[in-house]
Amino acid sequence: MFWRNMFWRKRKPGDFGDEIQAHLQLEFDRFREQGLREADARLAARRSFGNAARAEEQYYEAGRWSWADILMQNIRFGLRMLVRSPGSSVLAILALALGIGANTAIFSLFNAVLLRNLPVQRPGQLVLFGKGEWVGSQSDLPNRSWQLFSYNGYREFQRKNQVFSDVAAIDSILFSTHGRVAGGANLEKVSAELVSGTYFHTLGVKPVLGRTLSDADDTTPGAHPVAVASYSWWQRRLAADPSAVGTRVTIGATVYTVIGVAPPEFFGVTVGQSPDLWIPLAMEKEVSPGWNGLDNNLFQSLYIFARRKSGISVQQASANTNLLFQQIVLGYAGPHPSPRQLEDIGHAKVELTPAATGLSQLRRQLASPLQILMALVGVVLLIACANVANLLLARATVRQREIAIRMSIGAGRSRLIHQLLMESGLLGLAGAMLGVVLAWGAVRLLAAMVSTGPDPLPVRLAPDAPVLLFALGVTVLTALLFGTVPAFRATRLELAPSLKEGRGITGGPMRNGLARGLIIGQVALSLALLAGAGLFLRSLVNLMNVDTGFDRQNVLVMGVDPIGAGYQSDPRLENMMQRVEERVGAIPGIQAASFAFFVFNGGGWTDPVIVPGRPQSEHDPDVDHNIVGSQYLGAMKMPIVLGRGLNPRDSGASRKVAVINETMARVYFPGGSPVGRTFSIGDSPPWQNIEVAGVVRDAKYMELEERQRPAAFYPHAQHRGYLFTFIARYAGDAKRSMSQIRTAVSEVDPNLPIGDASTLLQVVNASVAKQRLVALLSTLFGILAALLACVGIYGVMSYGIARRTNEFGIRMALGAKRGDVLWMVLRETLGLALIGGAIGIALALTSSRLVKSVLFGLGPSDPIAIGAAAVLMIGVAVLAGWLPARRATRIDPMTALRYE
Amino acid sequence: MSTQAETGRLELLQGTLDLLILRTLVFGPQHGQGIARAIQQTSGDELLVEHGALYPALQRLETRGWIAAKWGISGNNRRARFYTLTRAGRKQLVNETTKWRRLAAAIGRIIGPESEEG
Repeated sequence: MFWRNMFWRKRKPGDFGDEIQAHLQLEFDRFREQGLREADARLAARRSFGNAARAEEQYYEAGRWSWADILMQNIRFGLRMLVRSPGSSVLAILALALGIGANTAIFSLFNAVLLRNLPVQRPGQLVLFGKGEWVGSQSDLPNRSWQLFSYNGYREFQRKNQVFSDVAAIDSILFSTHGRVAGGANLEKVSAELVSGTYFHTLGVKPVLGRTLSDADDTTPGAHPVAVASYSWWQRRLAADPSAVGTRVTIGATVYTVIGVAPPEFFGVTVGQSPDLWIPLAMEKEVSPGWNGLDNNLFQSLYIFARRKSGISVQQASANTNLLFQQIVLGYAGPHPSPRQLEDIGHAKVELTPAATGLSQLRRQLASPLQILMALVGVVLLIACANVANLLLARATVRQREIAIRMSIGAGRSRLIHQLLMESGLLGLAGAMLGVVLAWGAVRLLAAMVSTGPDPLPVRLAPDAPVLLFALGVTVLTALLFGTVPAFRATRLELAPSLKEGRGITGGPMRNGLARGLIIGQVALSLALLAGAGLFLRSLVNLMNVDTGFDRQNVLVMGVDPIGAGYQSDPRLENMMQRVEERVGAIPGIQAASFAFFVFNGGGWTDPVIVPGRPQSEHDPDVDHNIVGSQYLGAMKMPIVLGRGLNPRDSGASRKVAVINETMARVYFPGGSPVGRTFSIGDSPPWQNIEVAGVVRDAKYMELEERQRPAAFYPHAQHRGYLFTFIARYAGDAKRSMSQIRTAVSEVDPNLPIGDASTLLQVVNASVAKQRLVALLSTLFGILAALLACVGIYGVMSYGIARRTNEFGIRMALGAKRGDVLWMVLRETLGLALIGGAIGIALALTSSRLVKSVLFGLGPSDPIAIGAAAVLMIGVAVLAGWLPARRATRIDPMTALRYE
Repeated sequence: MSTQAETGRLELLQGTLDLLILRTLVFGPQHGQGIARAIQQTSGDELLVEHGALYPALQRLETRGWIAAKWGISGNNRRARFYTLTRAGRKQLVNETTKWRRLAAAIGRIIGPESEEG
């Protein structure tokens, strides 16, 4: 009904006219019958009808179409007006498109990484035990909020809780391993996530094919070789084969059967990771032979998440969980816990955190950069709005006479405001459409920039409903922001003077305080953005100039997967590693080659050490431990400063040795040479009584920002275990060296998978990817903002000068010098730029404190960054004012006087 | 509320025109002029209907689906647009009549019997 009223125009106005005519005819007939003369009858008929025009008008207005008609009229009118001044319209649309596009692009990423809920049933009910920030395993009982749990702990929570409908566990590490698919000959990269059997059920994720895991698939260690495939892996690797269930995947020595395929939108619970296979935790030892402990209460490597029963609040759930937790942890401490242990346990707790948006390392890394960028693009949009508002103001002034005439012949103010707002709405809409297209392209670029590895960021970035809604909201807001004030001002004028006014000298150049204010605002905001860009750039430069302590040039870094190749943790493994190192080291052009537990930014193993005779202290820093080949330090060019480096004679049979760094020597062996002294790690037998063989120069190990950490390097020949990284120092061409290395490795073991290689330089650069992203984008936004501000200044000044043409003509005719005119015009710009600059500096100084924590090696009020921004901004602002000012000096007095 | 117009006729109370139109159409299809005349005559020439004002009302009723219209030929062989009461219109008429009666009765009770006014 409503719909029909609005859009179904049944009758044409002509039909209505006909009806009125018919009515008049019938009345006329009646009066004629009563004996009136023809002319009188006609008159009487009209009289009894009343005002026909009004009836028609009333009919028309009641005819539900009027508002839509007015809307259409306004749209048509608005379009005509926009087309009439194409230059400024295009400029406005471009400014808006850049502003809205930048906002939409950043928001897409923001949404995908930080806001979006997991595609699971009722995500609001999910809670995570702890914050999910720690990755790896831990063996002590922390005296604070716990994040990692053992498998037994998970089972106890699952059995004993009264508040969750389901509890699930997931390994904190995603295993990138290699396997053979469907009996294929080649080892392929497969990433596997170890999850509890309850995982899919807890999430409420239904398979598109086959079945998901159930608790029955996770009961006996080693006895459940089954896997659920991810949708993308099924598509990519199994060509979306509908009979994929039953496919066999061999990883290490175990053959897994694919039992089902997860739905397409489900990437797992960790944003930024996309496992290929989900395998039951019962298979932990098979997937990760070197790092496991299903039955070990103190091998804590799992995240636990759970679904609250409906009606159970987070508080209730938390109370029950912590009660249970205390019992469970007390059980771990053994029958006679020490007072220290009891105290620690007293402080231990589980914080339930909402898990609707899933887990994410990525989120933690990107949260602050994305928040910063979101704020920056917001400012860019503000500047764009100010710009467009200025354009509209100028345009409204040009149209003052038109508006005055229309108002004086009876146009309603509200209708005029509607029309003017419609114009801004159309501008906004055009800008938004262009902006969304821009964003579409930009977001891919952004994703590539934040991805640290060669693979793109595994998050869905296609513009979805929230993103489009966001763009729409931003558009409406901006249209109101830049449109309202000019529209109200334009219609507030006094009619008489406006009608009388020519384009003469009334209304000085910048009579309009609003335009002036907008310019000042633009300069101030742009300056603040430029200052921010300066801070981030300088911070990045400082990071890149950090002395890493190793030579990042000419080193190849690659991942190897001895587990995928089926190696057990036995002498065969060590034998293979030594042969690979020898073989690769013998390649001409390769100077040194070595396996390593970790290379820069690849994670780390930190634990405290015990030095005999030295009292332990609370403040002892943990030591970074690394297990490497004998040529590792040489390959990294980490120089030995005391004693000796590692060498091939350090074997399983010889004395256990370590090379420690300067900081460790200073902290743990003060006063005298540490060479020949010993230390231990915890109480595990292989790590006792290790002799210091030498001291190596300090270096960075995990990230460029880190404070200097103590570190120690151990030869892998003396410590059994899997190493997943291989490095080689090469001379000449990296690609050629890489293929030579592959050949050499395959001669030792054709089955040993070698992953993608990158150079150490790339690894270092990738480690500051987010800082680079922020620096790059903030610079881009700063430049964009400054450009917009310049366009604004240029526009307002040119317009002011055009209006003052005959004033300048008179002045020059009366003897003003060109220089005087130039200075007169420029003075104004300079004044605005200086005021804007001062506000901008204040703004920069106050707001930069918010980003203090992400700056490296400089304070938030770094005078160089802020000073440079101020000089640059005021400079370009004056330049933007100078161009039209110069034109003012070229005015020919005679032409100017005839101008009106 | 109702005022005495110059002609001595009563002007229509707001909102009553719809009721009168619906009521008139009970007797069968009628065109606009016929409706206007019928209202005037049935009311004993007491009610003044400006014919022009009739049409927006007809329009409104038509959109609400209470009356339907189509072009036809009048008694004196003129083309005219004839309106008919729809089923919904009939229901509406019953409602409106009841409402109006209650209103009239209530107002009547308040202003008291005619005799008192003298």
